Amino acid sequence: MRDSEARTDAAAGRAMVVDFELIGRARGGDDAAFGQIVQAYRKRILGTIARLIGRPEDVEDVGQEVFLRLYFSLDQLRTPEMFEPWLYRLTVNAAYDHLRRQRRRQESRMADLTERQVQMADAMAGSKEARSAREKSKLRELVDSLLGTLSEQDRILLTLKEIEGLSLKELEKIYRVNENALKVRLFRARQRVLKAYAGLAPKGGPAPV
Amino acid sequence: MLRREPEAPDGRLEAELTQLFAQYREALPDPEATPEFMPKLWRRIEARQSLNRDLRRLAQGFVTAAALVSLVIGIFLSLPQGRVSAFYTNTYLEILATDQAQDDPDVVEIVRAERISYERTQ
Repeated sequence: MRDSEARTDAAAGRAMVVDFELIGRARGGDDAAFGQIVQAYRKRILGTIARLIGRPEDVEDVGQEVFLRLYFSLDQLRTPEMFEPWLYRLTVNAAYDHLRRQRRRQESRMADLTERQVQMADAMAGSKEARSAREKSKLRELVDSLLGTLSEQDRILLTLKEIEGLSLKELEKIYRVNENALKVRLFRARQRVLKAYAGLAPKGGPAPV
Repeated sequence: MLRREPEAPDGRLEAELTQLFAQYREALPDPEATPEFMPKLWRRIEARQSLNRDLRRLAQGFVTAAALVSLVIGIFLSLPQGRVSAFYTNTYLEILATDQAQDDPDVVEIVRAERISYERTQ
């Protein structure tokens, strides 16, 4: 991985984190090269997964699943230029599988706790750090509940666009569908979230954060 | 250009939602992986490789067994069988030809000739 050799994705304007030669070596079965790729993308992918699935405790597990899939599917990558969309596609698929499993499991979540339990948790958190963590947790739960009004696919698509900041061109490469179809789907998903958000907002005031 | 639905909430909520997403992005920065991340990943890769190897070995065993069974069946079928009636071994045409041979006009003629000579002696 040499920064000087890092290429720029013309469509996205983002720099490739690794060079094509390293990807080629990893495709050829070089485990050291694969390790370098993981090191280079690990943080970014874990961050994306964290925001896609909204469960910090499961992030590493899903992240490992992404790189595991990458390891066994690298030989299917046609050109190194498509590496990043390919990696994002694997991330999207792994996050989607996780969200579906999670929905099936119907685990007990913070959002499902009773009001009394939340009040007790609030009372216990007194320090500044704890308050900040609590606010972040509330924000996470709010966004999570808003995104929860969407299907898993739409949730992931909207998160990639609105939170990850991916461009339509990048999404087009990841999803392999045309830009107009993506725009329509994004618009509908956003409208649905907006409606849910409006439902939370008290009359005449901003929605609770 | 996408048209806004008539019942869509106003622009204020739109802006708030955009801001909310931005705050969410800030509240969830890219996390650092634990030191166990890479060792665990390699263990999972090795486990999958070993599973693949086992499956491949199983498939190869199955193919070998199938080839052996085919060979045994082939040998068994090629071995000369005990005397079997012509009815089971001959083709329909061969059997038909045999039957026609029995109705040969020469034979009929001879029988008739004998019969005639017999009648004459009477």
